[in-house]
Amino acid sequence: MSRIVVDRQRCASTGGCEAVAPDVFEIADDGELVVHRPEPDEGDLPDVREAVRTCPTLALTLVDGPRPG
Amino acid sequence: MTVGLAAPDGAGIDLDGIDLSDREFWLQPPAVRHAVFDALRRERPFAFYAEPELPWLEAGRGYYAVTRYADVDAISSRPAVFCSGSGAVSIIDMPPDINEFFGSMISMDDPRHAKIRRIVAKTFTPRMLERLVDSVQQIADDVADGARRKAEAGDGTIDVVADLAAPIPLRVVCDMMGIPDEDRAMVLQKSTIILSGGDPELVESLEDFAAAMLEAGGALSDLMNRLAAERLADPRDDLTTALVRSEVGGEQLTHQEIASFFILLLVAGNETTRNAISQGVLALSEHPEQRDRWAADPELTRTAVEEIVRWTSPIGWMRRTATQDGEVNGHRFAAGDKFLLFYGAANRDPEVFREPQVLDLARDPNPQIGFGAHGPHFCLGAHLARREIAVTFRTIFDRLPDLTVSGEPSRLRSSFVNGLKRLPARLGER
Ligand code: HEM
Repeated sequence: MSRIVVDRQRCASTGGCEAVAPDVFEIADDGELVVHRPEPDEGDLPDVREAVRTCPTLALTLVDGPRPG
Repeated sequence: MTVGLAAPDGAGIDLDGIDLSDREFWLQPPAVRHAVFDALRRERPFAFYAEPELPWLEAGRGYYAVTRYADVDAISSRPAVFCSGSGAVSIIDMPPDINEFFGSMISMDDPRHAKIRRIVAKTFTPRMLERLVDSVQQIADDVADGARRKAEAGDGTIDVVADLAAPIPLRVVCDMMGIPDEDRAMVLQKSTIILSGGDPELVESLEDFAAAMLEAGGALSDLMNRLAAERLADPRDDLTTALVRSEVGGEQLTHQEIASFFILLLVAGNETTRNAISQGVLALSEHPEQRDRWAADPELTRTAVEEIVRWTSPIGWMRRTATQDGEVNGHRFAAGDKFLLFYGAANRDPEVFREPQVLDLARDPNPQIGFGAHGPHFCLGAHLARREIAVTFRTIFDRLPDLTVSGEPSRLRSSFVNGLKRLPARLGER
């Protein structure tokens, strides 16, 4: 199980992740990034990895394990 | 200054004789410029140059020309240390009000940059752009048909710049913003002046350039103030309406902020994509086997677009200014030092790209940084530009398969915009 972590200090809402994985990421009307599936399915993983790799502000990471707590 | 064509990898070039601040350098053919970049990247990755002279402003102490991919990326991704707020689009420091007037968010740092970027972000996401796809296709069809009619009515020739590359992005940006038809010719003319880099064909002298810039900015700003007022009273489904009505954290954009953002969009949205298209057409005519491959295989479009942007790198550089003393990849710098990030040079760095001097439309992966390297200023219009380039080339293959470049391109004398003023072509038997 992997989990997406967004560094809100870094994220500048460029929408790069939404371009690569539109089912998982969306820039909301207020300009904030919303992660629809913070614990993405197996099938989403290749796109999510690509989004993490190409994020212009290096704001995304994919970590192992479910949400703490 | 002219540089003879040395070995293709820049071996044998006398770097002491090279001055990137010399405007004439930028008129040289790409092969010469790239040979110089190759030599700089290898021998002087932080080459230092005096600032170009402008009659009405005092030059600063000079700048470093950054040509290695790793250095461009390292600087771009540390916005707190290397800021944009002292000016990202001019080498010489401009008075702060001019900076903001012409630069808007591109010459701002957090927190103001983040505020404006969040307000406009939604409008430029891929999801929102889906709604625009049809209209980009329609515009491209329309423009291509117009080019065909022009060729048929005349001697069979067109200008790729004026008849294809310029009108498509202009109409897309104007549609997004809801600019009335009757104002569009003015918008094209003014944005061309703002990005002319003082090219003598477009402005008479450098003294006139300052006046022409201010006049152009003023005219665009007037137009936007008028539109903003109209949309407040009578909202529509366009970007202008979204901007005048948007609020982030209870804050609205001021009228001045909206006008400046408009100027940025007009300029950044027109002059860049235009040159990606015109120089893309030129590149494909120089590499006919690549052209035929793309024409036959629409599946190639995703990688082809990235390669066109890497190859043409329409924006020559952005500037960053050090906010403190420090070190980057072994290079020591002091607060106030200026860095020009030469994207076109980084985009041919052999450390990152295999056979960088080969145009390969199937290149994958292609971590090109034509839209900017890592960092919060990464091109807002990147998704839109990709779409425009993709649609335009597919439309050329479909509707103008007989297009052939028929003469020498005329280059813009600018280091900032890698651009063509004209590119003659013929429609008819190949
Ligand atoms: C091939 C076409 C294009 C290229 C090569 C390009 C390139 C760039 C570059 C290099 C930057 C600066 C990145 C930085 O400072 O780190 C930038 C920023 C920007 N671009 Fe583009 N661009 C293109 C198309 C567009 C289009 C179509 C639009 C809008 C309609 C646009 C709007 C902007 C804006 C608003 C910024 C400033 C973003 C910020 O400061 O946060 N660009 N672009």
